[in-house]
Amino acid sequence: MKSNWLKLALAVVMTAAAILLFTQTASAQAASKGKIAVVVSTLNNPWFVVLGETAKARAVELGYDATIFDSQNDTAKEAAHFENIIAGGYKAILFNPTDANGSIASVEKAKAAGIPVFCIDREINSTNAATSQMLSDSYSGCVKLGQYFVKTVGKEGEYAEILGIVGDNNTWNRSKGFHSVVDRYPDLKMVAQQSGEFDRAKGLEVMESILQAHPNIKAVFCGNDAMALGAYQALVTAGKADQVKVFGFDGADDAVKLIAEGKMTATGMQFPKTMARKAAEFADEYIQGKRDFPQKLPVPVELVTKDNVGKYGDYGKK
Amino acid sequence: MIASTLMLVVTIWFPLFHVVSLKAVTAEKKAVTFNAPDFAEGFWTNQVIPALPGTVKADVLIAAIQTDPAAAKKKYGHSVGLSDGYFYFFSGSGQVAAASDDEISVSLTPGSTNVDVVLEVGLVFGNAVRDGTGLLNANDYPNSQDFNDLSSALNHIVESRVLPVLKQRAKAGARISFAGCAEVDDESSDLKPLKVVPLQAEVQ
Repeated sequence: MKSNWLKLALAVVMTAAAILLFTQTASAQAASKGKIAVVVSTLNNPWFVVLGETAKARAVELGYDATIFDSQNDTAKEAAHFENIIAGGYKAILFNPTDANGSIASVEKAKAAGIPVFCIDREINSTNAATSQMLSDSYSGCVKLGQYFVKTVGKEGEYAEILGIVGDNNTWNRSKGFHSVVDRYPDLKMVAQQSGEFDRAKGLEVMESILQAHPNIKAVFCGNDAMALGAYQALVTAGKADQVKVFGFDGADDAVKLIAEGKMTATGMQFPKTMARKAAEFADEYIQGKRDFPQKLPVPVELVTKDNVGKYGDYGKK
Repeated sequence: MIASTLMLVVTIWFPLFHVVSLKAVTAEKKAVTFNAPDFAEGFWTNQVIPALPGTVKADVLIAAIQTDPAAAKKKYGHSVGLSDGYFYFFSGSGQVAAASDDEISVSLTPGSTNVDVVLEVGLVFGNAVRDGTGLLNANDYPNSQDFNDLSSALNHIVESRVLPVLKQRAKAGARISFAGCAEVDDESSDLKPLKVVPLQAEVQ
């Protein structure tokens, strides 16, 4: 008799729990406005982690379920993500592309499937595939860095450049912006230019080999802060951290801290959180019915030096 | 026999290869390659120069900035993307107050010691010329590298055509008329005086 009562009580509790769970799931489904995908070129760099997490968080704030996909800088993996996203019934894609040309096909597939794509930070070389592209003005940012480079390094001497991924437009926009200034001073001689693929470990490796071949360089300009941090590490190991000025780009927290400590000379502050939030807001507006978006929305880059470093931190302005 | 005829017909309809002239391929490649200097030349001649007379006058703009910078920005300025910075595209005349290798200071009121405008005559960097006129749109350029190359090409036109004569003739006390673009990044330092990349200038 006692065990019957226990069974009955257990059944009541389980039924109540099931009803509660069902109600909660149903209400969560009713609350969600659908699914948004955040596809990021790589999560092996804190800057892109901030970009992806911010996009996801803003999408969630706006009422969506959001998932981050890591392309690991591989267009094949990126294409596979798009296939899954298209099949998975996502309403929009917040996209940090891997390759300006190689990523176009994936965006076109999503567009054909009726899913809007909003590019963040990196562009694709097409103006009719993505719904909108929020892009850091890398060129202008590196013009400012180039001017500061000449001011602090001087108008003569040897320097090196560590480039990002060769297939990415940002790599060349940064390099060209920098060279549009520095190349006007013929006695500033670039003795080495190699790719560090936007990767900290590769930046370190490349810097080590540059130092062996060119021990007299006065400065190194790096296409992003991850490579700049790697280059700085190589300089510390070689005992040359005080002789070689390091310039980066991104505004990564570690780089900003090194500038504050006088160990790195400058970086260009991009605003990953601004871009990521805007992309999520554009996606929401699209889903609500808006269709008129600017194809390209440049986001300014600010020069961070020892003189103004106190204003910056946490991937933006304090 | 039938098989050979059939093969011939199939080969005519579906040839194994096409002969294409190298000239045609080169022409096709050229057609899709953006030529920044050529584009800059056309833009300069057909759009920039004709637009100069219609720009806001310097005395009107500066009076508006002194009265209410935010209202002046709204009425006469334009910005690009999410930038807080903005540009003025304007023209005016005045008297050269001082001249150096990099700057020509101009007072709009003859005899006044106030410097209202500084014409920047050193090396030209950045996008003030490209973006300052408001006549070009980044959305028209699938590859931003092309749009940035255009900036360099326009800067080169200013450096090679506008600045040499200006630097040679603009001496303190000379009357000068000018048109150009001013970039305002920091209102505390960039509004007074306005720092202008000159696109046209005449010195009397």
